Amino acid sequence: MFDWKLALEAIGMIIYATFMGFIFMGIERKAMARIQRRVGPPIYQPLIDTLKLLGKKESISHGFIYDFGPVFALGASIAALLFIPIANFQLFSSNADLIVVAYLLEVPMLGIMLGAMSSGNPYSAVGVQRGLLTMVAMQLPYGLALIALIQHWGTFKLSNIVALQQIHGWSITVPALFLAFIVFDIVFQAMLGLEPFDVIAAPAEISMGPMVEYGGKHAALLFTQHAVQLFAETAFFAVLFLGGASNLLELLVKQIAVLFIAIFVASIYPRFTIDQAAKFFWKWPTILGIIAVILTMGW
Amino acid sequence: MGEDFISYELKEFKLFEPLFRWARKKSLWIVAFCTGCGGIEMPPLFNARYDLERFGMMPNPAPRMADLFLITGYVTPKTLKRIIITYEMMPDPKYILAHGSCPINGGVYWDSYNVVKQLDKYIPIDVAIAGCMPRPEAVMDGIQEIMRKIESGEADGWKRYRENYEWYRKNQDELFGEGWREKDAKRWLAWL
Repeated sequence: MFDWKLALEAIGMIIYATFMGFIFMGIERKAMARIQRRVGPPIYQPLIDTLKLLGKKESISHGFIYDFGPVFALGASIAALLFIPIANFQLFSSNADLIVVAYLLEVPMLGIMLGAMSSGNPYSAVGVQRGLLTMVAMQLPYGLALIALIQHWGTFKLSNIVALQQIHGWSITVPALFLAFIVFDIVFQAMLGLEPFDVIAAPAEISMGPMVEYGGKHAALLFTQHAVQLFAETAFFAVLFLGGASNLLELLVKQIAVLFIAIFVASIYPRFTIDQAAKFFWKWPTILGIIAVILTMGW
Repeated sequence: MGEDFISYELKEFKLFEPLFRWARKKSLWIVAFCTGCGGIEMPPLFNARYDLERFGMMPNPAPRMADLFLITGYVTPKTLKRIIITYEMMPDPKYILAHGSCPINGGVYWDSYNVVKQLDKYIPIDVAIAGCMPRPEAVMDGIQEIMRKIESGEADGWKRYRENYEWYRKNQDELFGEGWREKDAKRWLAWL
C-alpha cells in the first residue's frame, strides 16, 4: 500500500527546504554585505542565480562520474533532510537516526569530491585533498560533541531528544552540553564551508576548489544541493541544541539565529591554511569535547 | 568588420526565454581576469562605495561559472591567447564588456608592435566603454547597457562567435600562427 500522505509530505518538505535554503543563502550574502557597509544583493538573489545557471545553453561534461557527483550529493542532502524532525513533521525515523543524519550530512561532500576528482583539473584535485583533510579533522570534535549529547539524554532518536528537551529545558542550558554546543558551533562553520574553515572552496586561493570545473546545469544542481544542505544543517543544529520546535515559524527563528552566529564569525575571521585548520580542530575543540564527554559521564 | 561577416537572425522565442533573460540580466558573474591597468578599477566596483553586488554581480575566479568578461585595458598577443581560451571555457550565454580605449583601437598604444589594436577581430565584444580609465560610474553605465541588451536579446556576442567562428579563427591564426594552442601548451616543456 503506497503511503500517499507521506509522499506528499516529503515532496512538500523538499520544496519548502529548498526555497528556505535559497533564502538562507540570500540572507548570508545580504548580511555579509551589510557588515561591509554595502547594500548587497536582494535576498532572493540565489534563486535568480540558480535560474540563470539552469538557463545556460551549454554544459560541459567530463564523463559519467562527473555528472553523477552532484546528483549523489543532492540525494544525500535530501535523505538527511527527511530524517530530521522538522517542527512536527517527522517523516522517516529509525532507532539511531542521530547517527544516520550526522553521517548523511557528510556524504554530500564526498559526492562533490567524487565529481570534482573526475574532472581532471589540478585545482579540483587540490581542493579535494583539502576538503578530505578538513573532513577527517572535523570528525573528531564532531563525534565528541554528539557523544556528549547522546550520553546526557541517553537516546539516539532525534524525536526523543526533542521531547526530552521540551521537558527538561534546552541542551545549551546544561553546562556540559554548553561545551558540546561550542564545539559543535566550531565544527558547524566547517560544515557550512564558511570563513575560518573555507579551505575547501577557497575562492581566490585555488580558483574555486572542487567547483572550478562545474558550470551551467551542474553548478545549478550544486547550488540547490547547498541550499538543502544549509537548511538541513541549521535544522539539525536547532534540533540538537536549541530544543527543536513545535511549528515551522519557531524552527525558522532558531535556524536564522544559528545562521547569524555563523555569518558573524565568518565575516570577521580570515581563512585558515589547511595545516592550521587540521591542527586547530585536533587541539581546542577536541579538548573541549573531551571535557564535555567526561562531564556528562560524571553528572 | 569584414564584408565576409555572416548575418544571423534571432530565433529563440520559447516559453521560458523571457524568464531566463531576466535571470541572466540579474545575475551576471564576472570572471576575475584583470588585464592591464583596468584591473585596478575592478575592485572599487565591488567595494562599499559603488557596490555592484546590488545588481547581483559577483567576481568569480572560475571561468566555467562566469557570464561576463571584462576586458580591462590593453591586450597583448600573449594575454589574448589566455583571453581566448578563457572565453571559450565559459558556458554559452556569455558577454564581453570592453573597458577603456585600448581594446577598442589600441588607445595610447596605437604605435606598439605588441598590443592588439582591434579586439573585435578576435573575440566578439558586446559593449565597449571609452575612457582611460573610465570612471566606475562609466563602467556601471556600460553594465546597465549590457543588461538592457540582454533583456532585449541584442547581446549576442556568443552567438556571433559561434556562427562566425571561421572568421574569428582566421584572424586569430593570422596573428599567432597556425596551431598556436598546441605550441603554447608545449612551450614550457623544454624548460622544466
